[in-house]
Amino acid sequence: MLNLDSMRGPDALETKSASFINPQALMAIRNLELRARVVVEGFLNGMHRSPYHGFSVEFTEYRQYSPGDDPRYLDWRLYARTDRYYIKKFEDETNLRCHLLVDNSRSMSYGSLPYSKAIYANTLAATLAYFLYLQGDAIGLLTFDAQVREYLPARNRTGHLRHLMLALEKPPEGTATDLSAPLKRAAEVLRKRGLLVLITDLLAPIETLEKNLTLLTASGHEVEVFQTLDPTELNFRFEKAVLFHDIESGRDLYVDPAAARKHYLQKMETHNTAAKAICQKLGIGYSCVPTDRPMELALFDFLRERMHRGKKIKRAERA
Amino acid sequence: MSFLAPLFLLGVAAVAWPILFHLIRRTSRERVTFSSLMFLSPTPPRVTRRSRLENIFLLILRCLVLGLLAFGFARPFLRKPIVASPDAKTVRQLILLLDTSASMRRQNLWAAARAKAEEVLNKVSPADRVAVFAFDRQLRTLFSFEQWNTMAAGERVSLAIQRLGELSPGWSSTYLGQALTAAAETFEDVPPEEGSAQRQIVMVSDLQEGSHLDGLQGFEWPRGVEVVIEQIKGKKTTNAGLQLVTDLEDSVPATNELGPRIRISNAADSKREEFKVRWAGASESAPLDLYVPPGQSRTVSAPPLPATGTNHHLLLLGDDDEFDNTAYYVPPKAEEVRVLYLGSEAENDHVQPLYYLKRAFQTTRRQAVQLLLRRPDAALSTNEAAAVHLMIVADPLSEQPLQAAREFLAARKTVLVVMKNISITQTIAQLTGVAGVGAEEIAGERYTMFGEVKFDHPLFAPFADPRFSDFTKIHFWKHRRIAVDQIPGARVLARLDNGNPALIEASVGHGSLLVLCAGWQPADSQLALSSKFVPLLYSLLELSGSLKPQRSQFIVGDEISLAATNRAPSITVRKPDGALVELAASSRFSQTDLPGVYAITSVQPPLQVAVNLDPSESKTSPLAVEELERLGLPLKKEVPKQTSRQSEKKRQHLLATELENRQRLWRWFLLAAFGVVILETWIAALLTRRATTQVEPT
Repeated sequence: MLNLDSMRGPDALETKSASFINPQALMAIRNLELRARVVVEGFLNGMHRSPYHGFSVEFTEYRQYSPGDDPRYLDWRLYARTDRYYIKKFEDETNLRCHLLVDNSRSMSYGSLPYSKAIYANTLAATLAYFLYLQGDAIGLLTFDAQVREYLPARNRTGHLRHLMLALEKPPEGTATDLSAPLKRAAEVLRKRGLLVLITDLLAPIETLEKNLTLLTASGHEVEVFQTLDPTELNFRFEKAVLFHDIESGRDLYVDPAAARKHYLQKMETHNTAAKAICQKLGIGYSCVPTDRPMELALFDFLRERMHRGKKIKRAERA
Repeated sequence: MSFLAPLFLLGVAAVAWPILFHLIRRTSRERVTFSSLMFLSPTPPRVTRRSRLENIFLLILRCLVLGLLAFGFARPFLRKPIVASPDAKTVRQLILLLDTSASMRRQNLWAAARAKAEEVLNKVSPADRVAVFAFDRQLRTLFSFEQWNTMAAGERVSLAIQRLGELSPGWSSTYLGQALTAAAETFEDVPPEEGSAQRQIVMVSDLQEGSHLDGLQGFEWPRGVEVVIEQIKGKKTTNAGLQLVTDLEDSVPATNELGPRIRISNAADSKREEFKVRWAGASESAPLDLYVPPGQSRTVSAPPLPATGTNHHLLLLGDDDEFDNTAYYVPPKAEEVRVLYLGSEAENDHVQPLYYLKRAFQTTRRQAVQLLLRRPDAALSTNEAAAVHLMIVADPLSEQPLQAAREFLAARKTVLVVMKNISITQTIAQLTGVAGVGAEEIAGERYTMFGEVKFDHPLFAPFADPRFSDFTKIHFWKHRRIAVDQIPGARVLARLDNGNPALIEASVGHGSLLVLCAGWQPADSQLALSSKFVPLLYSLLELSGSLKPQRSQFIVGDEISLAATNRAPSITVRKPDGALVELAASSRFSQTDLPGVYAITSVQPPLQVAVNLDPSESKTSPLAVEELERLGLPLKKEVPKQTSRQSEKKRQHLLATELENRQRLWRWFLLAAFGVVILETWIAALLTRRATTQVEPT
């Protein structure tokens, strides 16, 4: 098991990032599965802290028995030694039902690097899928643009990963990014509670985002959001005043970056902050993943988020 | 610099294209795909200093290319002064005829005519020779060719215009034909200019229907003369004219119950039909209402003459044009003619001449003949004799009346001696101042008649017409043969068929003595009973000067003959405007330039003459120019202005084409454009290469 605590903190991130695989080099690998395998190299076994307490090999704490507690959890050995009733608590390890919701809209096909955001997002999804598959978790896939394009229910069957990889390899076709319809559809389809990983650039009006995410969390799903953005989308490093062509709507706009940058960055920042705030509010894990960020770090972000969430739940339960 | 095809210059506007391309390229050449424009707002185009500097030169070059092409295609040429061909030099001889007739007083016709005349004068070139005439009944020279020649070139037109300004329309009638022919004849007096053949008469007139066109028909127009008619047209309003109708001499004179006859004629283009006529100053009396449809005329009796006032004139009311609405009227006065009959006959003795003479003279509208009877031996004073117009002697005179008759003859008067018998020869001898005149009584079985009549004598002149010249019906039963050769200065006016004189005239003193060799009573002849008797007597009265050929109605411009008016040394005429004109005796008064009543004050009793407007002036509807053309007027072939302008344009265009063909400046423009294109291409290539080399290292 990977010691995640040792990687906690910015220092740890800095020291480790040097040894990560350059995303450009990674994307040079044409096979998606292979890319995922390369990333997951160090993560042989998935580690998910279950929010559910139950019988498990891993002990977490003792608690004094109080009437109404299930007598099954009494530690009889401790009672023998101390003559007091204690309830023994375990960390439950369970199989995770995870659905990857991947944005395949046209805006995802943008990329200032040799690869597009879509490739990065697909690689990320593949990485997560592979990682979870190795852990024995059931993985499902739902790709969407303005509506749901592809849906693979969560399975952990042999060959399921292969199907998933093939589905992920399809090029983005959709036009606009609209999270409303796909998320609503996902809430309808995914009845069983599980983990939903939403990989998108969130380049859609923010107003409906909260409502749509609430749909998912209300169904009891845990939601993780990866916002994949191209570095130029974040820093808007354009030099010349040129016609900007909207990849989704086909609209042209004459923009002088020198004049428009400040305003753009401000708007982008506001948008992202709002998205983040919504996620925080709904208890949704959010991480912004620029496409030049090593995939491992994204995976790490994911795991750390999961662990952090597990602890938070535990604390909440203790309280 | 001029252009043969200036429309191509619009091509210069094409320089907008490079500028537009320049602007468009600045925004659209580079295109960057971006994921979403949701955070971007359009940037207003901003011209940076760099781009301006970099592109402006190319822009200028491209604009220059287009400009040069446009100029080249417009086919430029340098206009050189055109050397006028020698045949183009035409010196016009121009006569400006301005109508000043009464009809020009209508509305604003005169102002329009003057403006037109001034326009014609202002268009005159310095080389032209111009004469200006005004015409109505006569042609008046305002500015002759000689005056034009003597004046400085700069002053001619202004002086002519100034003279036009002094002119105003008169009251005369329009003698258009006369004016035109007179003007055409003026050209004959002017030596032709060298190189000049164009002679033009420009007539400014209202060309009214009532213009007199006599003289135009068959007039031999001088070669090269053309007439330009500038017709001044007034607004179409009602114009009716009022004229007096001339009554017959012997008709009943106008009485107080019945006024003179008048005619009201309404112009064809009139709008009104109802008029009123009344005497001026008689506003209390009811005016005469008249209905005259346009183009027609009505003759009616005017309202009765007002009892008071001397200056009578009739007014026509309800007409728009005032100039012809007044008719002046002088009631005719019967003139008293006194005939003295010296004879011893009884008035009612029908075998004697007196009986017939008395019945021959009837009172008419014009004269009342008073027959005075005197016995041949009764005393006759000189004054009494002087008041007499004609003396008829039927019986031998005693000494005193004989003397009076001699004085009567000396006073340029006429004495008729009727030879009832040969006893009167003594008186004839005494009157003619000879010792004796031989005579004998001729009475045959066979009657005689007039064999030879001198119709050229004033006495017989009225009978000269073949219809009246038959004297054969007058038979003479008896007559007296007189020895004509014994009377000095005597000549036979009529002879009988047997050769004996019937009527002899002898000049005695300043007067004339007529001797009728037979009586007119039926015992002697059928003369008194013939139709010739009364006319002959009146002819005699006229010959004696007793009957003046008196007219009391004249039209403006007519000459009034004053010869017979009286024998005063000088005559004074008062015109309607109060001006007095002194005239020598026996002359003619021709200054009848105003309508109104003219008074000849120096005679007793004062004579009044009414001068009215020519009735034809009231016919104001415009005359068709075709009518003039029909009369052979050499009208200028009116080239439509547009056509002449077009031909001038065409000529200019041909000239320009020729110049352009010779110069061919367009080649240089195209060459320059080609050069600039090469330069532009080179510079553009250079700039692109430099830009590429700058980009490559990054």
